[in-house]
This record gives sequence, C-alpha cells and structure tokens, in this order.
Amino acid sequence: MRRALALVLAGLALVGCSKGSASTSSHIKLTVLAAASLTDVFPKIGAAFTKSHPGVTFTFSFAGTDQLAAQIQQGAPADVFAGASATYGDQLARAHDIGPYKIFCTNRLVLVVPASNPAHIASPAALATKKVKLVIGSESVPVGSYTRTVLDNLNSVYGAGYSDKVLANVVSNEDSVTSILAKVVSGEADAGFVYVTDSLSAGSKVRTFVLPNSAEAVAFYPIAVVAASKAATVAREFVDYVLGPAGQAELKAAGFGPPPPQG
Amino acid sequence: MRRSDRVAALAAGIATAVLFGFVALPILAIFLKVSPSELVSQLGSHVARQALLVSIRSSLIAVAVIVLFGTPAAFILGTKRFRGSRVLTAFLELPLVLPPAVAGIALFAAFGRFGLMGGALRFFGIELPFTQAAVVMALTYVALPFYTRQAVAAFASMDQQLLGASRTLGAGRARTFFRVALPLARQGLSAGAALAWARALGEFGATILFAGSLAGKTQTLPLAIYEQFGAGNLDGALAMSALLVVVSAGLFVGFRLFVRNRGLEPEGAGWGLRSSSTIA
Repeated sequence: MRRALALVLAGLALVGCSKGSASTSSHIKLTVLAAASLTDVFPKIGAAFTKSHPGVTFTFSFAGTDQLAAQIQQGAPADVFAGASATYGDQLARAHDIGPYKIFCTNRLVLVVPASNPAHIASPAALATKKVKLVIGSESVPVGSYTRTVLDNLNSVYGAGYSDKVLANVVSNEDSVTSILAKVVSGEADAGFVYVTDSLSAGSKVRTFVLPNSAEAVAFYPIAVVAASKAATVAREFVDYVLGPAGQAELKAAGFGPPPPQG
Repeated sequence: MRRSDRVAALAAGIATAVLFGFVALPILAIFLKVSPSELVSQLGSHVARQALLVSIRSSLIAVAVIVLFGTPAAFILGTKRFRGSRVLTAFLELPLVLPPAVAGIALFAAFGRFGLMGGALRFFGIELPFTQAAVVMALTYVALPFYTRQAVAAFASMDQQLLGASRTLGAGRARTFFRVALPLARQGLSAGAALAWARALGEFGATILFAGSLAGKTQTLPLAIYEQFGAGNLDGALAMSALLVVVSAGLFVGFRLFVRNRGLEPEGAGWGLRSSSTIA
C-alpha cells in the first residue's frame, strides 16, 4: 500500500515537472480553430509561417464553423478563429469572444457527384426530377445555410418548387463540409453541395457542376484573434500573414477567391 | 488500527468521493444549467420529440434483435466447451473496445453501396446507408456485446447439473432451455439487456457515419444534441441531454426494479448466479 502511494506521488510529481518545463520553454503554440473547408490549406500556411517565425508551432482544429463558435463561446482555449461565415464572425465579435474580424477569402458553392455518378446526374436540375441520395450541410453549419440560399435562388432558374423537391431528397444533414465530401467521394451518397475548393481537393474522385451565376451564394471567411488568447501578439501576426501576400497565394492556389476590397 | 491502515482507508475514502463527484457533477450540472420551465418548453420542440421517437424506436428494435440472436448464441458459448469457443466469445466482445467511429466505417465497408456486401444487397434492391435500418444496425453492432457478455456469464454460472437433471427427467433440449436455463439466467439476461439498451440510446459515432443525420428519420437524440450545440442552442442541447439522462436512467432503474419485484432474482446464492449481477 505504502509503495503504491509512493508511486502515485512520484507520478504526480512527474506530471508537475513536465508541466513546469513546458511553460518555461520559448516555444509558442498557436491553437487555430478553422472551418472544415480550410483543412487542406491552413496547415500549409501554418508551415510557411513557422519558417519565418521559428519557435511557433500550430495546433489546428477543423470543424463546422458553428461547432467552432460554440466551442469558443464555451471558453475553449484558442488563439485564432477562421470561419466560413461572416454571420458567426459577427456573432462572436458582438459577444467580444473575438476581436474585430477581417474577411480573408471567399468561396463558392458547387454540386459534386461521385466519379462513377451512380444516379446519372447530368445537371443540378436533375436533383428535383428523380430520386437522388443528396447529402448537404445542416442548417447551422455555413455550407448548409449557403446551400439552402442557393437552392432558393435556383427556383428562378429551374422553376418554382425546385428547392422543396431537392430538399425532399436529402438523406443526411452533415455537420461539416468535409463529412459531406467524404460521403460523396466514397460513393455512398449520389450528390452533395460543397465548396469549389473541396471539389478541387477531391480531384478526379468527384465530378463537379458549377451552379448558374444567378444562384451563387458567395461564402465570406472571417478571421480574428480570439479575445481570450494568451499569445495574442503572435496570433495577430499570423492573422496578418494569412491576409498578406504569402497567405493569399496559398489560398488562391487552393481555389479560394480573394476577399472583397475592404474600406 | 495501524497508522498505515488508517492512511489507506482515508485514501480509499477520498478516491471514492472524488470519483463520485466526478461522475455526479456533470449530470447535476445538466439539470442546474436549464430552468425547469425552459426544460419543458425545449422538450416540446419538434426536433426533440422527433429525435426521442427515433431513438426509442430504433433502440428497442436493436435490443430485440440482440436478445433474439444473442440469447441462443450466449447459451451455446456459456454452456458448451468446444474448439474455438473461447475465441468466439472474445470476438463477440470486440465492439466493446472498438471506437464507434471505426464501427461506422466498418459498417460502410461491409454493407455500404460499395462495401463487400454492397453488390449482393443491391441485387435485392436494398441500400442500407442513410436509412432507419442503418441506425438499427449501428446501435445493434455497438450495443451487442453488452448483452452477450452478461448472457454468456449468466449461462456459464448456472448449475450445469440442473440442466442434466432436467434432461434425465425426460425433458427435451428445447424444454430444458426454456423451462430451466432461461429462468435460471433471467437476471443476468435482464441486466445485460438493460445495459445494451442504455448503450444503444447513447450511440453517436457509428450512427452519424453510417446512417447520417436527418430529423425524423435517422436523427437520434445524441445526434440532435450535437446539432443543437452546433446551432448555438445550448439550452436545447442541455434539455435534450437531461431528457436522455432521465430516459436512460429511468429505463435502467425501472428494469432493475421490475426484475426484483417479479421475484426473478435468484432465491439463494447457492445457485451460482453470482457473476450475473456483477456489472449492473
């Protein structure tokens, strides 16, 4: 018994030590909460940033922007917020959970089907005319709300009622754009609405249908330093880096559109 | 009492208190964070009612399937020793240690459109992913070992001589199973079914992967809680969590009481039913 107690105490002491040594090191670890659609591009920007700022490392957490916002509101430790919807940027900024945000890029919605196209979809119009297993984002996740806006706008192209008929074909409301893409890539879903950047990253595994111009809902991506950040200075530098030429080049290469001119 | 004994007793007491607080506090918090009136109004919401219905329905079907298939299997594994019986028993417990997300991917790999069985299922016009059947399959897969584990133990700890006596007295195998083995193992089987049910009600990972999430169809309570949390409706998520706690705990406790009141518990310890009540 005594030996067991001693072991526990030794263990506690060890934990204490390791914690102490970590906090005294000069390394700075930035925790970045970013929209699921940034999963591929943000680690690249982070790696480039680390090259010019040695000692700074990143922990990325990618999820639906709604989940990220909920996490920040619940006090999740984070330094940078990069979402896929200005709505959540406004909401967080209003509650002073993040500092003032800037739009750092834009994205467009597209329709993707598996490369094998099991439902033989030839155009977005087909989503309303036959039984299709369609996967979209849930209403609270930006890609889901953009999808609903786009479908409404498409009523003017494909006829009134188009939106309702398409929504009746939805078999799952996913929590992030990455899970939509996964279900389309695997061929289990017949079609899904994702961002053009996701369709680019999936490459030849999907076929992409660009939506008519009149329907386009453009997604605006806000970025900001989290108010509770303990490394706000470095976080600020990273935000500027994303907004600067190097970050913008990476985003452009991934298919993101430039932010609108801000005045 | 020696000093070292006192220290040990104190340490054990503290450990128990910490553990109890750690389990109880979050559950308590769920109920304290939402006012009762808010709780009621949130539970009246369309989303919550639909999700509760999907949860109850699919978990009941899953438990029925588990009991139907699990009982005979557990009887064989608990009472017969044959080559590979231990391996088989251990294998049935695998979903216990399998992360639910892995279970979901595995179900896709086996029963998805492009899964191993996809072609065969398609031949019969069956597509499982994103259906209510997929929800039931996910729940069944994950909850199954909670029943079989208890059931195997219950059958194994029966006094095997009673089965022999029944056979000598002229009862057939089937009669012996239904009239002797089942009543003897009943408590273990009930406890196992209750555990499996609770696990099925709480299933999340395998369901969201294999069955997706569609309100009124495949969205169970846990999935609805996740969605409401994401939508910024923390009160709604908490209310549904409270509901899930009440329903799971209620079913569980009710089941245990029912078993006790019906006199289904073993009358004497001499019947060797010890192991059946260890987990619950």
